[in-house]
Amino acid sequence: MKRAVVRVVVLVLVASACTGSGAGGGGGGDGGPVFLKIAASDFIDSMNPYVGQNDDSYSAYQYIYPYLNQLDSSLNYVPDFATSWEHSDDQLTWTFHLVEGAKWSDGQPLTSKDVTFTYNTDIKYQDGPTGGAAGSIAHLIKVTAPDDHTVVFHYSQPVPTVLANVQQNAILPEHIWGQYATGDGKALKTFPNLPADGQPVVSGGPFMVTQFKPDEVALFERNPNYYGTAAQIDGFALQLFSNEDAEITAIQNGQLDAIESVPVTSVTTLQDAGIKVFIGPGLTERDFIINSNPDKTVHRELLNPLVKQAFEYAIDRAKIVETAWLGYAQPATTVVPPATGAWHDPTVQPLPFDLAKANALLDQAGYQKGSDGMRVADGHPMAYDVLFPGSERGAGDRAFQIIQGDFEQIGVKLTQRPMGGGAVFSTMTADNYTKWDLAMWNWTPPIDPDFVLSVLTCGQYGDWSDSGYCNPAYDKLYAEQGKELDPQKRQQIVYQMQKMVAEDRPYIMLTYGQTIDAWSPNWTGFVQSVQGLFPFLSKESLTSVHPA
Amino acid sequence: MRGIDYVAKRTAFALITIFVAITLNFVLFRALPGDAVSDLARVPRATPELKAALTKEFGLDKPLAEQYLLYLQQLAHFNLGISYVNQQPVWINLRTALGNTIPMVLLGTIFAVVLGILTGVVSAWRRGTALDHISTNLAIAFYAVPTQWLGLVLIIVFAKYLPTYGRTSISFGSLSTWAHIKDVLVHMLMPSTTLALTLYGEYTLIVRSAMLETLGEDYVLTARAKGLSGWAVVRQHALRNAMLPTVTLMALSLGYIVAGAILVEAVFSWPGIGRAVYESVFNNDYPMLQGAFLILTLSVVLFNFVADLLYFRLDPRITV
Repeated sequence: MKRAVVRVVVLVLVASACTGSGAGGGGGGDGGPVFLKIAASDFIDSMNPYVGQNDDSYSAYQYIYPYLNQLDSSLNYVPDFATSWEHSDDQLTWTFHLVEGAKWSDGQPLTSKDVTFTYNTDIKYQDGPTGGAAGSIAHLIKVTAPDDHTVVFHYSQPVPTVLANVQQNAILPEHIWGQYATGDGKALKTFPNLPADGQPVVSGGPFMVTQFKPDEVALFERNPNYYGTAAQIDGFALQLFSNEDAEITAIQNGQLDAIESVPVTSVTTLQDAGIKVFIGPGLTERDFIINSNPDKTVHRELLNPLVKQAFEYAIDRAKIVETAWLGYAQPATTVVPPATGAWHDPTVQPLPFDLAKANALLDQAGYQKGSDGMRVADGHPMAYDVLFPGSERGAGDRAFQIIQGDFEQIGVKLTQRPMGGGAVFSTMTADNYTKWDLAMWNWTPPIDPDFVLSVLTCGQYGDWSDSGYCNPAYDKLYAEQGKELDPQKRQQIVYQMQKMVAEDRPYIMLTYGQTIDAWSPNWTGFVQSVQGLFPFLSKESLTSVHPA
Repeated sequence: MRGIDYVAKRTAFALITIFVAITLNFVLFRALPGDAVSDLARVPRATPELKAALTKEFGLDKPLAEQYLLYLQQLAHFNLGISYVNQQPVWINLRTALGNTIPMVLLGTIFAVVLGILTGVVSAWRRGTALDHISTNLAIAFYAVPTQWLGLVLIIVFAKYLPTYGRTSISFGSLSTWAHIKDVLVHMLMPSTTLALTLYGEYTLIVRSAMLETLGEDYVLTARAKGLSGWAVVRQHALRNAMLPTVTLMALSLGYIVAGAILVEAVFSWPGIGRAVYESVFNNDYPMLQGAFLILTLSVVLFNFVADLLYFRLDPRITV
C-alpha cells in the first residue's frame, strides 16, 4: 500500500517538474521585470555591518547603504552620499557636503543626522561591539552636523587615509539602529537586520534587500528612493553555489546570468560556450613565509640572509603561475600588489629562478650537503615543516609541490603540514613565534597600503603578524607613512618599506591572483574592478548593468 | 507487563549515553588547537580591540571548569550559545538548517527503503536467476559509487530538466504556500534521488538475505503445501518476518538523518545541516559545532532507543 502511494507521489512530482516552470528560467525580457541572477561561492554571512566578514557581505552593504564616497574603477575617490569635501589646513577638520533632500527606502529623511549617528556610535563602542570599524575611525574624536546636509569630522591628529577610511563605513539609518546603540551596545551585533513582516531592510542605496535566506539566496530590488542614478535593472539575486559544476551548467543553460570568482579550471569551458569571461588584476597575493622572529630559538639558519636569498632563487614563480594557476596569475614582486595602483613599487625586482645560484649561496653559507643530498646546518639537517592553511588548498598544493621539488635540488627538505587557518595561526603565535619555520598563506589587502604594511610591524605580534618580523627601522617608516599627508611623500615612504621587505624577506611573494568573472552575453554594462563585478568599492557596476 | 525491566534498562542506558556525549562534546572542542578569535583575526576587519572584546564576550578567557559549568547550565535552558560567525543563537541557525535537511533526507530514505525492499524481494524470490544477479549487483554498484560523483553525473544529465541547485527557485514576488511547497519538492528531487541511489543497496541486501532465510523455513514449506500461491507466501509470511531487520535498519538510519548528507548538500548547494557543520569547522565556530554534534548524538541515541523498543515490540521471541 505504502509502495503504491509513494510511486504515485513520485510520478506526480516528476510530471509537475517537467511541465511546470521547472528549472528557473531566465531573467525578464518581454516587458516583465528585469532581474539579474548572480552566483556566489562565499555568500553573505550576515546583513549586520557590525558582524559580516565575507566579501559578499561588504558588497551587499555597499549596494544598500549610503557611503560618503566610493572608489571608481580607476581607483579615484569619487562622491557617493557626499557630493564634495574639503579639509582645514592642519587637516584636523574635514567637512563633507551631503546630497540634499535624500530619503531612506521607507520614506524617512536621510540626513546628516544618520551620518553623525553612525560615526559617533562607532566611536562610542569601539572597544566593544563596533570594534570592527575601529580602523576606519582612527584618531576621530567626533562628528558634528551644523545642518541637515553637512557633517564635520574632528580628528585628534592628521590622518592621511581619511578618504580611504570613510569609503569603508556604511551609513546606517538612525531611526532603525538608534534603539540598539544603548547600554553596552551589544544589541548592535545581535540585530539580524533582515526583511521582516513583508518589509525590506530599510536601505539608502540603489537597492534594498527584500528576501534573505541564510546560506541560500538574497534578493535585492531597486530602491525607488535612492538619491543617486537609479539602477537600470529592477533587481538582482545573489545565490549561493557550493558546487562549481552546477554553476557552469546553470549559466550555460541560461538559469544564471553571472558568476563571481570563476575557478581557473572552468575558464575555457565557459569561453567555449560563448560566455563572456573577464580576467583582470586582483588583490589577492600568495606568499611563502619565513619565520623572521629575531629571537627564535631553533633553526636560526633561516634568519641568515644568504639562506633567504637562496630560497628565493629556488622558487620558480613562472612554473607556479603556469602549472598551479593555469596561467591565471602574475609572478609577484612586492608585498603591496599592483592592483592597488600607485602604491605598488614597480622598481622592486624579484630574484630569478636559478638553482645553481641557490646552491652556491648555501655552500657559501657553510651548510654542506650530506651523503643523502640534504644539507646540514648547525648539526641538524635542513628539513622543515611548511604550515599550510585550508585556504591555500587546490592551486596552493600544486605550488607547494613545485617548490618542494626544487628545494630538494638545493638540499633542503620541505614537508607540508595542512591545517585549519585557526590552527596555523595558533602554531605561529605560540610561545612568541618560536615554534615554526615556514608557511604558505595569502593576503587580500584593501587598496590603501596601510593595512598590509602594518602586519609586518613588531606591534602586530599575536594579532596580524604571520611572519614574526620585527624591525625597528621598518616600524619607524610605518609610523611616518601613517602621518605623512603629502601623497607623493607618503608614496616614497611606502616604496622604501617595500624595498626593505624585499631585502629582509619575511615573505617571498609568490603570485598575484587575478579576478575572474563570467557573465552571459545577454547582459552588458558591468563595471569591472579588482574586486570583480560585485565589488564593495563602489555602486557603479550593478547600477550600470542592463540587458544587452 | 512484559518487559518493563527491559524498557527501564534501555532508558537508563540512553540517558547515561547522552550525558557522556554532552561532556565529551565539550571537552573535545576545547582541546583542539585554534579558536575562533584567532581565526577571526585573519580577516582584515578585526582589530586588537575587537579580539579582546570577543575573547571576553565568549568567555574564552575563563578557566575550563567554569566554561563547562556555564555550558551545562545553558544546555538546561536550551541555550546552545551564539554563533561566532553571525552572532545569532545557535539553536536558530541549526533549526533552519535542520528544517532544510530533514525533508530532503527523509524523502531520500523513503525512496531508498522502497527501492531496497522491491529489489530485495525480487532478488530473493528469483534467487539464482539473471534478474537476481543484475538487481543485486546494480544495488552494490550504486552503493559503492562515490556520492559526489553520482551527483555530478546526474547534474550533467538532468541540468536542463530539473533544478540542480538550491532549495527554491528565485522568485521576486511571494509564492502561495502550495506553489512554494511544490517548488521545494521539485528542487528536492535530485538530491533525494542521489541519496537514495547510494543508500538503497543496504536495504536490498538485508531484505534479500532476510527473505532467503524465511523462505527456507518450515512454515513457508507448509504454506506452499497448503496451496498458497508464490506471491501470497512471500507477502503474507516471508516478507513480514523479513521486515524485522529492515525496520531496525531504518530506525538506525533515521538517527543519522540529522547529520544531513554533507556530500549531497555540497553538490546540490542544499542549505542543510551538513553544509552548516562543514562551514562551522572552517570558521572554528565552536558553539555551532557543539550544538550540531549534540543534536546529532542525541538523535542517534534516540533512534537507537526507538529501534530497541521497536524490535522488542515486534519480535515476540525476545524476552527480558
